[in-house]
Amino acid sequence: MSGRENEAKILILATEDCAYPGANAVGQAHMSYPENTYILRVRAPVMFPERFYLDCFEKGIYGIIIASCGVECPYEGAYEALASRIDKVYGMMKERGLDTRRLRLTGICTVCTRAFVKEVNQMNELVTELGPPGTEKKAA
Amino acid sequence: MVDEKRDQVTAPGPKVGVYVCHCGGNISDHVDVEKVCEDAKGIPGVVTVKNNMFMCSDPGQQLIMEDLKNGTIDRVVVASCAPSLHESTFRSAISRAGGNPYTYEHANIREQVSWVHHGEGATEKATRLVAAAVGKARELHPLEPFRVDAKRHATVIGGGVAGLRAAKDLADRGIQVVLIEKSPFLGGWTAHWDRLSPTEDDVSELIPELCRQVLDDPAVEVHTCSQVISFEGFIGNFRLGFRKEPPAEGAYAEEIERMKQSGADTGDFIPHVGVCPEPLPEASEEQTVETGVVVLATGFRPYTPRKGEYGYGEIKEVITLPDLIRIIAENRRAGGGQLLQVNGRKIRAMAMIHCVGSRQIPGIHEETEGRPLNQYCSRVCCGATLHAANLIRETHPGTRIFDFYRDIRTYGRGQEEVYEKASDNKVLFFRFEAQDPPEVSGNAGEGDFPVSVKVKDTLTFGEEIETKVDLVVLAVGMEPNDVSDLVEMMKLPVGADRFLLEVHPKLRPVELSVSGVLVAGTSQAPFDVGETCAAASAAAVKASAVLARGGFVELDPFIAEIDMGKCKGTGACVEACIVDGALRMVEMDLDGEKVLRPEVVPALCQGCGACTAVCPENAINVSGWTLKQYEKMVEMIVSEKLAA
Amino acid sequence: MSTETMKFDALILGGGIAGLQAALDLADQDFKVAIVEKDASIGGKMIRLSKVFPTLDCASCITTPKMAAAAHHENVKIFTYCDLESLEGTGGKLTASVRQKPRFVDEDKCIGCRQCEYNCPVMVSDPEQGGFSARKAIYIPFSNAIPQTALMDVENCTLCGKCSKVCPTEAVDYFQEPRIFTIEAKTAVMTTGFELTPLENKVQYGEGKIPNVITSLEMERLLAPHGPYNRVLRPSDGMEPDSVAFIQCAGSRDKSMGISYCSRVCCMYAIKQAMLLSGALPLADIAIYYMDIRAFGKGYEQFFQNAMAMGIAFIKGKVARIDAGEGGAVRLHYEAQGEDGGVRTADHDLVVLSLGMVPAWNPAGTCTVSTGDDAFIKTIRPKVAPTLTDMEGVFVAGAAAGPKDIVDTIVEAGAAAMEASKYLASLARTVKAAA
Repeated sequence: MSGRENEAKILILATEDCAYPGANAVGQAHMSYPENTYILRVRAPVMFPERFYLDCFEKGIYGIIIASCGVECPYEGAYEALASRIDKVYGMMKERGLDTRRLRLTGICTVCTRAFVKEVNQMNELVTELGPPGTEKKAA
Repeated sequence: MVDEKRDQVTAPGPKVGVYVCHCGGNISDHVDVEKVCEDAKGIPGVVTVKNNMFMCSDPGQQLIMEDLKNGTIDRVVVASCAPSLHESTFRSAISRAGGNPYTYEHANIREQVSWVHHGEGATEKATRLVAAAVGKARELHPLEPFRVDAKRHATVIGGGVAGLRAAKDLADRGIQVVLIEKSPFLGGWTAHWDRLSPTEDDVSELIPELCRQVLDDPAVEVHTCSQVISFEGFIGNFRLGFRKEPPAEGAYAEEIERMKQSGADTGDFIPHVGVCPEPLPEASEEQTVETGVVVLATGFRPYTPRKGEYGYGEIKEVITLPDLIRIIAENRRAGGGQLLQVNGRKIRAMAMIHCVGSRQIPGIHEETEGRPLNQYCSRVCCGATLHAANLIRETHPGTRIFDFYRDIRTYGRGQEEVYEKASDNKVLFFRFEAQDPPEVSGNAGEGDFPVSVKVKDTLTFGEEIETKVDLVVLAVGMEPNDVSDLVEMMKLPVGADRFLLEVHPKLRPVELSVSGVLVAGTSQAPFDVGETCAAASAAAVKASAVLARGGFVELDPFIAEIDMGKCKGTGACVEACIVDGALRMVEMDLDGEKVLRPEVVPALCQGCGACTAVCPENAINVSGWTLKQYEKMVEMIVSEKLAA
Repeated sequence: MSTETMKFDALILGGGIAGLQAALDLADQDFKVAIVEKDASIGGKMIRLSKVFPTLDCASCITTPKMAAAAHHENVKIFTYCDLESLEGTGGKLTASVRQKPRFVDEDKCIGCRQCEYNCPVMVSDPEQGGFSARKAIYIPFSNAIPQTALMDVENCTLCGKCSKVCPTEAVDYFQEPRIFTIEAKTAVMTTGFELTPLENKVQYGEGKIPNVITSLEMERLLAPHGPYNRVLRPSDGMEPDSVAFIQCAGSRDKSMGISYCSRVCCMYAIKQAMLLSGALPLADIAIYYMDIRAFGKGYEQFFQNAMAMGIAFIKGKVARIDAGEGGAVRLHYEAQGEDGGVRTADHDLVVLSLGMVPAWNPAGTCTVSTGDDAFIKTIRPKVAPTLTDMEGVFVAGAAAGPKDIVDTIVEAGAAAMEASKYLASLARTVKAAA
């Protein structure tokens, strides 16, 4: 069981201004969340091209949470560009038969500990249910 | 050791040292640090792995410094607490050992591992995070902060209180200043006032004092009758052109006439006009300044009521608060009297109506062509109105005052006392709702008083009350001066309220999104004189910090960098860039061919990476945060080899 | 006993948002700055807030970057848990005697791991969470405190020794003494902030004894994303309130309390809290009892209009008295200014007193800086140089010089830093001229 859980890796792209410190606050509060989660610190997730997300799924990442600053993004205009890119990625995921819920764009603030844990748990439940990326087609 | 050296000759790849912290049990109680170290040895690129009870301690840092000094490693990964706590500690240790602080990557295995996970999984996750950090570290390159030459020079646009205050502050910090004022006068709208609420400061002392300080300072060059005509460059290196020319036919006619009548010399204060620091120019002349920062202090103008708004423009007894302030001063100069007089007409009773041109509500107030609603509160009118009311009641006790308001907003220090004093002075208050404003009508020939004001007064539970008066004063709000030419030229952000829009009201309240361009005073929002001076000084301190290091501005190295070997010149990055001018296409020689390629303007780039995402060749990346680094991190996270 | 002396260009008294901004604006000009803070962490009142008006940004997200920037700045040195004993001098030579209170934890050794906190058996009501939850007798003040250094609450410590045993760095020191040291600086900025008006002074509002009447700062904690309950519950019985009322000018514009001034922020924070509440409790009725709504700052009036559009009830009327009602309810007696007027009563499940501001610090006896009739620090040129005090080389910013919102405070802190740096530059010129 535990081996399988660890296989269902979730990537969290967390902005250095908001979500990354938010994830640290979760640690400071000693709250717990699944350990198949890997948090990468990013300046702004707008830097990732569409194919980065698809490549991640191809490499075996089960789910991706983009934990952004939301509209409080310090780079004016970047959040809007990101949101429209993610829409495109959703289209491409559909074409490839990937469940679009595997990619989630959300806003996490520096003290949003509960929101962070909730997001992670939801994604974990989802990917546990869905299984490895690319297997959705068979299930359907 | 020998083998290692041979490796270097054949494959001089980065040599990564991994240092894992126990944090006195905080990490090692839940993460098997020994096992992490053991597994880390197998990660490609890792040449040494060490651990310490406290990596942040001096002995811990020494481990890293020794390995750097003797050449064992040239990339550092520390696995410890959150980077916000000790990333800077380790970067500075690397610098002290003669390394480049940017050849460092942090693995957060406390806040994001040992404090949130327990059991076997924690160790595996820690190992994978270390592996990811190594993956990134192998792709790191030494970086240097960017230095951009900067002129130790500031340009202040606007010669009102904000501009004068900012110019003097900057000059006092040893910065050369050019102050550009559109009109022939310094002092702005404040020079039109009389005594200020609630401190009773007299503008006929305050404005000349400020002007004198600026005009006497050899570091400040003042140009009146001047307008900005061109603007280019970036922080530290702006080129700003302006034209000085005689005022247009009829412009400032009233003020110029008052100046002539007063017989004032240049540099003298003229009541309700300001200070004219230099003779009016005879001919048009253009100049350019090279400047490091720009402070916008373009100010406000009082709201002009629409024709018919509370009878304005139709009933001659309806005037505005700025008109009244001048009348009060003129009455005082004429020696006071039992009743206030307006053009020889005695005022037995007057009405003052608040929120004219402020707090307008869509659906209640009508938007007329070209004049959007002012939904904001103008902040100063309540205090100024009640202060004027007190001056009248105290100097002309026979003049009765009726005050019509929605909310009394005497928020500032000493302002509530002004409100109380107005009550003590028997100013009679009526309160109205936005949807039931007072009705002002002319009674020409009908009765004793020329105007009547009717209101549904909520203080008496909605009773209809009619007052008969000789004068109606509209407490008009503030609107930003029209600076559409500057907005266009300098790409300035403007809010829905048409005032200049700061980057963030709390994080960066006096900065505009154009780096090196600051905002001061009422061009940003309504403020009183004290608040305007505070804002101007706050803008000046930011400008001073930018120019503090003399000849250069130091910028973060995390900005976009182009790999010209890969770039095909599609221009997609320029299109995607969220900062105007940070990326631009330029013609350049490439293998003897003239081609168009993008160029990064370091002073403007914010390093968000919006360009990276759209480049089909991945030829543009933010230094220190490249796409390839992330790809490597993901590869390491999913790597089969690390599976326990 | 000889005392240690440290030299700086500028001394900042108070590490709240005003002090941090002033310190950063001076340090960015390459001046050396010391921040002396009375609490165990910097961050002041702002770090305790939930979200802030009118942008509804998370307060912590705005404050923590400034706290971290100051803490990591090479030109800034922060002294926490310190009281200013005296400040004297003139002509560019100020001498501050500072007393650092004992934390009973060695600051240099503590690594902020919280082992002591986890193992401490003593539970104490946590004022940082409005008293709604508990903390230990040895603790780090709050999650994003700077420094992340523990301190001991000796009043409640049972001397069981557990913390000392588990501390991996042997940082617990039961015998720590206060440390007195001297800071020499050329200029100083007073950013000593405010406290809420004491509730005890208002008999008509129950002196803090009526159940389910809470202060606005307590409501901030209930609303904060990392607050005590993760939702809004009333304290007496944990019920989710169906009706919440805010009482404006509770401790401002009230001569019966000796506070005649307007505290300037209460209207806006009440509207903000009401908006956040209507998100947390979508079915609850929310009412604000007020005299005048003073939404004067940039974007504030629009914020107020939005709140009205959201259905928050604004009731014109001064609340004269508060009583305990039935079943934990709170009964308000107020004089309505609305349609029919008259004295009325209304029951609410939870009542928030929108308390005003009083100065947090009185300089009397410590230095020669004067205060005004309102007890806030007096400024001598409020129009043209609003941060000047009557002590040479000493400036003031933020709520120390009268109630102020965060935006105005931050801007004023910048202005004080400008005045201080001008003063430093003028001293340098005098020295040069003399040489």
